[in-house]
Amino acid sequence: MSKNVDLNQEGVQVKKSACYFCHQNCGVLAYVKDNKVLAIEGDPEFPTNQGGLCCRGNAALLHLDHPDRVNYPLKRVGKRGEGKWEKIPWQQAIDEIAARLQDIKQKFGPEAVATAGGTQRTDDWARRRFMNYFGSPNGFHNAHLCWIPTFMVETAIYGWCPFDLDIGNSRCLVLWGQNPGASGMPEMHHIKELQDKGLKVIVIDPRFTETAAKADLWLPLRPGSDLALALSWLHVIIYEGMADDDFLTNWCTGYEELAAHVVDFSPEWAAPLTWLTPEQIRAGAVMYATNKPGNIQWGTSVDQIGRPAGATMHARALLRAVTGNLDLPGGDLLTGPSKDFITDEEMEANDVLTAGQKAKQLGSDKFKMVTWPGYQRIADLTKKFWGKAPTAEWMCEAHPPSVFRAIISGEPYPVKALLVSATNPISSYGETKLVMEALRKVDFMIAHDYWMTPTASLADYVIPSAGALERPTITSSYGCADFLLASQRAIQPMYGRRNDYNFWRDLGLACGQQGNWPWETVEDAYFDKIKGLGYDAKTYDEFVENQRFHFPEREYSKYKERGFATPSGKVELYSSVLEELGYPPLPQYVGPTENEIDNPELAEKFPLVLTTGGGFMPFHHSEHFQITPLRYLNHSPYMDINPETAAKLSIQDGDWVWIETARGRIRQKANLTPGIDPRVVFTQRGWWYPERDMRDPVLGGCMESNANVLTTTADVDCDPFSGAWANRGLMCRVYKAEQAAEKEVC
Amino acid sequence: MPRYAMVIDTRRCIGCHSCTAACKIHNELPDDMVYNPVTTVGPVGIFPNLSLSFLPLLCMHCDNPPCVDACPTQASQQREDGVVFVEDSKCVGCLSCIMACPYGARHHNHATGTVAKCDFCKHRLAIGKLPHCVATCHQKARIFGDLEDPESEVSKLVNGNRTVRLLSELDTQPSVFYIY
Amino acid sequence: MSNKHQSWGWMLAVDFFFAGAGGGMLVLAALVELFGNSRMSLAGNLLGPAFMCIGCIFLIFELGKPFRAWRVFMNPKAILTVGAWTMSVAIATAFVYAAMALPAKAFPLNLLPFDPIVWRDWVWAGKLLAVVNLITGLVVATYPGVLLGRLKGRPFWTGPGIMALFLLSSLVTGTAAHYLCGFVTEAPSVVVWNALPGVFALLLMFQLVLWIGYLWIKQSGATENEAAAARRWTSGDRSLAGKGAFLFLGTLVPLVLALLPNPAAQAVAAALVLFGGVTMRLLVIKSGDDRTYLPGEKRYNLRLPNGDEAFLHKSAH
Repeated sequence: MSKNVDLNQEGVQVKKSACYFCHQNCGVLAYVKDNKVLAIEGDPEFPTNQGGLCCRGNAALLHLDHPDRVNYPLKRVGKRGEGKWEKIPWQQAIDEIAARLQDIKQKFGPEAVATAGGTQRTDDWARRRFMNYFGSPNGFHNAHLCWIPTFMVETAIYGWCPFDLDIGNSRCLVLWGQNPGASGMPEMHHIKELQDKGLKVIVIDPRFTETAAKADLWLPLRPGSDLALALSWLHVIIYEGMADDDFLTNWCTGYEELAAHVVDFSPEWAAPLTWLTPEQIRAGAVMYATNKPGNIQWGTSVDQIGRPAGATMHARALLRAVTGNLDLPGGDLLTGPSKDFITDEEMEANDVLTAGQKAKQLGSDKFKMVTWPGYQRIADLTKKFWGKAPTAEWMCEAHPPSVFRAIISGEPYPVKALLVSATNPISSYGETKLVMEALRKVDFMIAHDYWMTPTASLADYVIPSAGALERPTITSSYGCADFLLASQRAIQPMYGRRNDYNFWRDLGLACGQQGNWPWETVEDAYFDKIKGLGYDAKTYDEFVENQRFHFPEREYSKYKERGFATPSGKVELYSSVLEELGYPPLPQYVGPTENEIDNPELAEKFPLVLTTGGGFMPFHHSEHFQITPLRYLNHSPYMDINPETAAKLSIQDGDWVWIETARGRIRQKANLTPGIDPRVVFTQRGWWYPERDMRDPVLGGCMESNANVLTTTADVDCDPFSGAWANRGLMCRVYKAEQAAEKEVC
Repeated sequence: MPRYAMVIDTRRCIGCHSCTAACKIHNELPDDMVYNPVTTVGPVGIFPNLSLSFLPLLCMHCDNPPCVDACPTQASQQREDGVVFVEDSKCVGCLSCIMACPYGARHHNHATGTVAKCDFCKHRLAIGKLPHCVATCHQKARIFGDLEDPESEVSKLVNGNRTVRLLSELDTQPSVFYIY
Repeated sequence: MSNKHQSWGWMLAVDFFFAGAGGGMLVLAALVELFGNSRMSLAGNLLGPAFMCIGCIFLIFELGKPFRAWRVFMNPKAILTVGAWTMSVAIATAFVYAAMALPAKAFPLNLLPFDPIVWRDWVWAGKLLAVVNLITGLVVATYPGVLLGRLKGRPFWTGPGIMALFLLSSLVTGTAAHYLCGFVTEAPSVVVWNALPGVFALLLMFQLVLWIGYLWIKQSGATENEAAAARRWTSGDRSLAGKGAFLFLGTLVPLVLALLPNPAAQAVAAALVLFGGVTMRLLVIKSGDDRTYLPGEKRYNLRLPNGDEAFLHKSAH
């Protein structure tokens, strides 16, 4: 609330809106008059944030009308990246883009058009719907790094993946590489309250994070060694008598095989791999297994460790099963998809895409879990059991590095157009040099975004996207959970911005998809989603104003009646679905993507272990660097290094240092902290400098401090299950940077 | 007459800086001004035996405010409800109050030449709302209320817990209390 | 940006120097008037209040809002207000006192048809003004030290010691200034004037001892913050200026020179005393940048922008 605004003046309406700067979608009350937002505040009645807002949420009004926002459709008039744009009308932009896409489709097939999305910065069922009708299987997100592989591996094993924890009744919470203290404020609030009532919290994280500082047990493992930890926990739980025999006997298959499989994975075996002591490992296993019911919270770290990721997800899922923590009060709930409202998957029109086109999805030959082969198998099972499938947007996507490589090489077939929807692949996808080459190479690129990002700077057209306060929001985990929270837009989009739904719809209509887009506005579509809930509402806005939430009655231990959505109807510890898809049915030990044991020569050149990617305040991914009051609180990129290591390298706190891997090097400032192992360094993610020249080749200094310059997406470094690439557990070296080096050319 | 006070439960604070941002943004502070920083104390120790805490700061709204005495113009004032504030039109920018404040809670506004500070969001108190830093805190680490009201949460916390005040040896009598 | 100008700057130090030296000059002149039955030089008596005026000008320019400067007279509880009032009175009475020695035939009084200095020969007025000047001069010489000493949050300043140091420095610089003025216009009593180097040599000795004691006490002091602030003088980044410029060049060297029976050496000594006085105040004011930092605060401030970062200035273009 600005000091000078009278919120009690006549004509002020209070809109029940939502923040749109991360997945939490905290409830926001917007004070609106004449389609102008006068002030915002956290909605005290919203169940998650309860009136709280984080740094980003508080900056919503600065985001809404920031001078750097893209406000009108822009068409490139100079060379790509030259920064010369012409404002054009919306329909002209749509028509020209559609004509070009149709042309590419005709010459190279629909699969030559790919799309990328940002994480929860757009509503992507509409993009998937467009792509399905267009005929291309090559839509993607950063889904691979964001819990989606975990979802699919777990669903293969026990028929769904817990989005929802019954944490209020839990006695132990495992935060596996998750730091809600910096990335999930509402969640952290609940955790702290429950901790006061006796909840045990285990944090597994190489860094002594905000959350680790509050934990009952902190396990600072070697980055990327999560699999060894999970396997040894299985060993301890099974061989030290803490397994839930009743659950294992009645509701699981393959227990004997599992027990035999983990017999050698003792804490003593895992200790040198994880850099934990056997006592630490055992203490964690005992705390989790003996404080039942317990939870393993969802988080995205394991998705980002590359080669061992799939096996780690598998092993971690088995921990829930052997302790019997699935679907019981206080445990990890298998809600299944919502029965009550229309899920995203049901809006996506996945049946329209032909089998022939599905088979062309890039990367699906190599990585099957989150592409059509695995998705189809799992969707068939869940449809049979739950009646619905997980959303295909997210759970079934082209493999992004494979798409970038196809753009560059034309293999296995040419990809000529890339539509980038509120994402900045230069910052957010792995191995930036590869991404950069692809973005420079692709024939036709559209950026549909809030900002002129480094990626958008290279586009042919930039389409202005409606952001927070300008769009209605449904928070429902895409229908992969049973609850729903609905929020309305505070105002109609400002300037020439449109909701991404309208972009895909208009583009669809211009590409001959008449009849496939029955909903004129997002609200029409959302009303369709929720009208079956049985509340007395005539419009979506009415639902938001009067109901806002839908929390169905919890049903526990549903498996006792119905079993699990797997081929055998039981939890398949020995997974038939994974085996069928050509993956090991039990989690085989694989070392971290780069490590000193398997590759000592590499470790000689790059002696430190690198972890990247954790969220930090006040930014979200690669966004918000433009917003001055936020940037003021954190104006330079910092990497964490132990003082002991820094001293050896003659690095002092605040020095600029280079961090280098086999892929390249970046500069960040040294943050000397004992909160990290002397053998490990951590770099912040997302950094670019919007205050710099946004034209090619500077592109906002997007290579200078960008952690993804360091990461690897080589097929051999990716998780064979999902293709998830490696942000963590890499080998690097660190050395002091000459102070003067200001610019690295992209 | 109420007597406003704040209790800060550092056990709950996670150092997310939301209070700092909320104050800067909603009170439209100049870019370089922070009324309520949250400092990071630690990690202290040797890896992996560590501790880490956060210390949210703001004007302590002292009962015995050295800044008010130091002000030669009477621009710095204290209301009966305890709120210490600066009447901008009277301030000459001599910085005496900045130098007098042991908590670093006062700031020279380079744009106006005068001194500015946290005033417990008195414009919000006037309409029955909480200060921004309190309202926005997810962790409910900042608790605000009336010390004169024995039923208020702050009264209960101050009376029922081992609260401490910063630099208490200076006898400034802050109205901001900390629980560790 | 955040750390810039969040504390007093050099202009306030210069104000304290001029005001202090001016106050010291008034005190000395008053003592000579009252107990020596003589006067200091006309130049010295004029320079005293003139120094205070110069100090006021620096003070006004130190303010963020110079045009509102008159408001500093508004809070009788504030030391700064007391100082402002006292200095105003002191300037007025000191000029009135100095005027007694203005020759009626000299410019500009010779332009007037009558002698405006009607109190020229009123002996009692000279004594009364001297009493007033003694009191106000002492206050002006001391109040910056009182102002600083009362600031609890500035560890280098806090405590009564700084008051003594400021008073002493005011007296020593005032004496040195009077001595130099004697070269401009002759003092009525050569004996008194010749004694001045001895006086400021004695005061310098006290100054040396007191400062060493002050730093020692601070460094082994009550709080870690005080010790840290003192360490910056004894072994840290201020030690060169503190020990070299102030204590050696501005105190010890003039102490030695003042004892030489040579007016030239003594004049150099007096000039070095003035240099030492201004250096000391600059350093003391700068030392106020160190606050009683709260846990984690120093690092927090260190991590904030300096103010020259590009992102802060982008909106300008």
